[in-house]
Amino acid sequence: MNQAPAIELRALRKTYKKGRELVHAVNGLDLVVGRGEVFGLLGPNGAGKTTTVEICEGLTAPDAGEVRILGKEWGTGADDDIRARIGVCLQETKFQEHATVEEVLKLFRSCFDDGRTVDDALALVSLQEKRSARQKSLSGGQRQRLAVATALLGDPKLLFLDEPTTGLDPQSRRQLWQVVRDYQSQGGTVLLTTHYMDEAHQLCDRVAIVDRGEVIALGSPAELIRSLGAQHFVVVDLVDADAAPDDASFLSISDVSAVERRDARVECTVASVHTALPAVLEMLERRGVEIDGLSTRHATLEDVFVHLTGRHLREGGAA
Amino acid sequence: MRWRVVKAVARQCFLEFWRSPQAVFWTYGFPIMMAVVLGFAFQSGQAEPVTIGVVDNKVTRANLAKLEDEPLLVVDWLSPADADRALGRGRVALTVRWSARDDREVLRSDPSRPEAMLARLLVERRLRQASGGEVAYVPPAHEVEDRPGSRYIDFLIPGLIGLNLLGAGMWGVGFNLVQMRVGNLLRRIFVTPMKRSEFLAGYLLGRSVLVIPEAFVIMAFGVLLWGVPFRGSLLAALTLIVVGGWVFTAIGCLLACRARTTETIGGLMNAVQLPMWILGGTFFANEGLEGPMRWAAEVMPLTHVNRALRDVMLEPGTLLDVWVPVVALAVTGVACFSLAMRLFRWQ
Ligand SMILES: Nc1ncnc2c1ncn2[C@@H]1O[C@H](COP(=O)(O)OP(=O)(O)OP(=O)(O)O)[C@@H](O)[C@H]1O
Ligand SMILES: [Mg+2]
Repeated sequence: MNQAPAIELRALRKTYKKGRELVHAVNGLDLVVGRGEVFGLLGPNGAGKTTTVEICEGLTAPDAGEVRILGKEWGTGADDDIRARIGVCLQETKFQEHATVEEVLKLFRSCFDDGRTVDDALALVSLQEKRSARQKSLSGGQRQRLAVATALLGDPKLLFLDEPTTGLDPQSRRQLWQVVRDYQSQGGTVLLTTHYMDEAHQLCDRVAIVDRGEVIALGSPAELIRSLGAQHFVVVDLVDADAAPDDASFLSISDVSAVERRDARVECTVASVHTALPAVLEMLERRGVEIDGLSTRHATLEDVFVHLTGRHLREGGAA
Repeated sequence: MRWRVVKAVARQCFLEFWRSPQAVFWTYGFPIMMAVVLGFAFQSGQAEPVTIGVVDNKVTRANLAKLEDEPLLVVDWLSPADADRALGRGRVALTVRWSARDDREVLRSDPSRPEAMLARLLVERRLRQASGGEVAYVPPAHEVEDRPGSRYIDFLIPGLIGLNLLGAGMWGVGFNLVQMRVGNLLRRIFVTPMKRSEFLAGYLLGRSVLVIPEAFVIMAFGVLLWGVPFRGSLLAALTLIVVGGWVFTAIGCLLACRARTTETIGGLMNAVQLPMWILGGTFFANEGLEGPMRWAAEVMPLTHVNRALRDVMLEPGTLLDVWVPVVALAVTGVACFSLAMRLFRWQ
């Protein structure tokens, strides 16, 4: 099919002035999101995710670069056309305080010439019982699902979700994931931002790891993790942090390629658990170091981020 | 503009307002209450007596003791220092002391206070009598003006209607718009195919429908409770109220079209409303002002709303008599609204 990609961004730049300082919120970013993909922007606070998404939505004008949404550009007379075909869920929206769920949906539905019925949208996010509840009486998760429902009303081809699950409990998060999967299975494209690694891993076909306004890694979650080489970790909790052997003792084990410590916890990056684990235990045993706990885990997208930047996702990026 | 969208926005904005009891009270209930209270305060034909301070000594006692019989004066006998302080604090409108060097009384007051002039006239008359100069004087009879249509309350009620159109129109519209901007709701609407004309038209409609009933409530109070006459055409009054509500709503919208915080919009509204409160001809006639003040008063929409409402209530004015201000106000409203549309910022 001769269809333009859902999103095309080329050499995108956006700089804000903060007092006398310049903040490069988006710093030469390239991205192509294909139709039918669930694409994740993953990055720490201040990485430029929201800025990128809002440029795509036509809310923010870029300083430089090209933006093509469903093959069309903002500001070339196609704005209303684009708006009729996208659905947007901002990072934070306060709907009118006294409006009921149904009323909010009716209001947003009124401006689309074609689209879903309010009942359909309610069913998609399972908010039927809350139909006549006012904003005040909704939980955070219900509010978020309502915001997503408003985005689905126009039956959009492309859905933007900016941190749709931040602050939600695990059950609400899973409910929202299901909404996204259902939407995708009907042919929709999604661009979502998140700083939850597991969310990106579970939900996204591809992710772009964004830091300081640039894409520093791009690919499917599995590809990105595989690119680390070592895919496993042996995590040892010691009884006494001071009694821990130095890094060299761990690295002398041939399977261990890196060591990281936090208090009494030592994390060894290993190629294969079944050979590294006995060796680590044997080394500790030999030195008489007491062990409080032991676990192993797979590498995650977080490890990819740490590997690329030397920082954790939650530490904040634009420092 | 799609009427379906305008209607949906108007409905929702009205409901939002209607369900917020505080907003309804402060925008509509409170002004009506204030109009009623002011009406009661000003409907009595009784003049308030004026307090003066007299420095107590033998001579003033002799010359001015009779002043205490004067129904419009309250006399405080004070020490010189207390008299000065009382004048400074505005507790007395005027002080009287005996100057031995000049061999006569000295009156002291700030002539810009109207009651000071009254006090001075009364004290001077008493002193003239004390000096024996008015033996053959027959005081004129006095009539209280209490015919409907000529009392202060008759002047006041149309002005209060104008003032309420101003307050309710502007506050009802401006503040909430900024709240929606702060809460990101305007940005969310911006990314839908809703046009700004659809949104703004619906918003103004929904938020301002209550302005008209409010104006009629005050009018009803005036006519039924205090006998304020209604001599002109009801159609003209209705037109004026609609047009007045429209012009102030549009101004409120213009002020709110870029404001980013509720503090900014509050300040802006006060800055625009306060001069109109003072010079707009609600509490006193502004035809007597001179120079730039007169000019400023003539530019204010409130002046023309009030004047036309008085033409319609106190005189047998019809739509034909007030068509000039009606058209001028409507055009001003359209100009403000178009400018607001131009300047409007979603974020
Ligand atoms: N309107 C603005 N004015 C000034 N600076 C801004 C503005 N919007 C964003 N920034 C700055 O640009 C950078 C990127 O912000 P952005 O909101 O895109 O980050 P983000 O990745 O969405 O972060 P978060 O995870 O916290 O939502 C930050 O340093 C932020 O302070
Ligand atoms: Mg963000």
